[in-house]
Amino acid sequence: MKIEKFKDNGRYDSYMNLDEGWLDRRVFWEQSIYDREMEQIFARCWLFVAHDSQIPNPGDFLTTYMGEDGVIVCRQKDNSVKVFLNSCPHRGNKVSFADAGNTRRFVCNYHGWGFGTDGALMGMHEEYCYDEGDIDKSKWGLKQVAKVGNYKGLIFATFDENAPSLEDYLGDFRWYLDMILDNEEGGTELIGGCIKSVIGANWKFGVENFIGDAYHAGWTHDSGARAMNNGQPFPAIDMKNSYHASVNGHGWEFGTEGVGDLFLLGRPKVMEYYNKLRPNMAERLGEMRSKIFGSVASASIFPNVSFLPGISTFRQWMPKGPAQFELKTWVIVNKNMPDDIKDEITKGVMQTFGPGGAFEMDDGENWENCTQTNRGVVTRREKLHYRSGISRRIEHPELPGIIYQGQYNDANQRNMYQRWLDLMHADSWGDVPERYDPRLSGKETMGPKAGLKTA
Amino acid sequence: MNLELIKTVEQALYREARLLDQERYHEWVAMLTDDIHYHMPGIETRYRRDKTDQVHDLTRMAYYNDNLEDLKKRLRRLETGTAWSEDPATRYTHIITNIEVIPTEKEDEVLVYSNFLAYRNRNEKDQDTLIGNREDIWRKTTDGYKLAKRMIILKQNVLLSKNLNVYL
Repeated sequence: MKIEKFKDNGRYDSYMNLDEGWLDRRVFWEQSIYDREMEQIFARCWLFVAHDSQIPNPGDFLTTYMGEDGVIVCRQKDNSVKVFLNSCPHRGNKVSFADAGNTRRFVCNYHGWGFGTDGALMGMHEEYCYDEGDIDKSKWGLKQVAKVGNYKGLIFATFDENAPSLEDYLGDFRWYLDMILDNEEGGTELIGGCIKSVIGANWKFGVENFIGDAYHAGWTHDSGARAMNNGQPFPAIDMKNSYHASVNGHGWEFGTEGVGDLFLLGRPKVMEYYNKLRPNMAERLGEMRSKIFGSVASASIFPNVSFLPGISTFRQWMPKGPAQFELKTWVIVNKNMPDDIKDEITKGVMQTFGPGGAFEMDDGENWENCTQTNRGVVTRREKLHYRSGISRRIEHPELPGIIYQGQYNDANQRNMYQRWLDLMHADSWGDVPERYDPRLSGKETMGPKAGLKTA
Repeated sequence: MNLELIKTVEQALYREARLLDQERYHEWVAMLTDDIHYHMPGIETRYRRDKTDQVHDLTRMAYYNDNLEDLKKRLRRLETGTAWSEDPATRYTHIITNIEVIPTEKEDEVLVYSNFLAYRNRNEKDQDTLIGNREDIWRKTTDGYKLAKRMIILKQNVLLSKNLNVYL
């Protein structure tokens, strides 16, 4: 056997072949690859930073991370949102230690430099120590991100001023996102608070699991499915009428039976609620999307947000080095749902996909060991198999994006790693190839006709 | 407060901890009242001036916000034989300390404060230590004292574990 030493020259073609369907395990382990992900992906992509409902009023803020850069997300008086680094430009200390709150100022504990809710430097302790000409306060505010965008309540930010518009970044994936963000008048909200946990795994294992890995569900989660529903097994998968859809590295795997994920939540009242809502959903989104919603499904927005439409867990995988991520867990509900339905969903999510949830408990264990086995130098040079369903690509008249038939498939995962590779190699956004035929550029994504090939 | 009652309630807490250590969940469930509320809120780090009620607001995110049926559902997973991450078994020790037993307005109920240290070890060297406070209501029944209400305050902001396959 030929022993190749790992050398990172910034080209990763030899670490995956997506036409053959394999990945080299070192993409989940090497520090230098992780460092490059932070530069090439997290410092350039649009990243989810907050939901509108988390910061409804002026002065409301939360702290989060874009890659490993700590940021503050703050609602402004004019209702816009600003996102800036949580790091004082004087010596670099954090200016907020809270997860969330409401404030008029962010003041550094070290020398008392104070910043407005827009991040502008307002003043500091013993300001007379600066002589005229020592400091131009207008230039020493908290570093702002390049752009902030909002898609139906989800607030995104990017550090890259040359990033495409959020609309183009999401592309035709908006058609899919509408199923969770706009299936009922009034849009969505996150339930208050956030549960965070630490998992000793590479961040990509979480994202790829939700982007396309329906395959693991029936096996890994047999115990969870039975626990939630009086011993009944995981719903059967229909390989003819289920799909993988991928757009710009984002992905959604789904059936069209309408009830699988709702069943797994184990809350009959929630099932009843959505079944009543379904005719309205069909009017808002078309027949097809009203049948996809609620089915066995999972989805990720590249690079690090995932959710289960129907089960309503909404989560973000925060990278913390190549072999660790922090998982933020929320519950997403429709704003106009009655309180008892919101309550049922919240309890259902925490019993399935909270850290003590009947499904979640078996996932973390898998991802940690998928990562940690690569500690072995020989093990980490081995390939991983990603070829399932490689010949099942189809064109679908109603489904935009790159479509593969049968939700047991590695297609979305392959497409995610293709996007990963494109970004890791690209010097600028202009070098990132478009790998699908958009149907919805500049077009309305709502309504029964949206997304049709002929529309 | 009579010492015998304090001793009886303390013994109930220790027995509960031993049943959890030994994964004797059927017997544990038998120590819960039918109207149990088992609650462990998720508590964010916030400034002192922030008056958001993160502990008692039951509409907020919680690790547990369970009634008896909810707890039974979670435990049912362990009986399926396919809870892969529980086989080989996790090794548990619950250490219960700082027990205070306080009378309430109801003659058959006592308020019980306690602290816990729950240690968990799995496979080669996975280990977690969870520490926090509990505030319970224990109710006198014909079957001895049973747990009617528990509020668990864990002292971690980010849960420093991959999951929570342990009852506290």
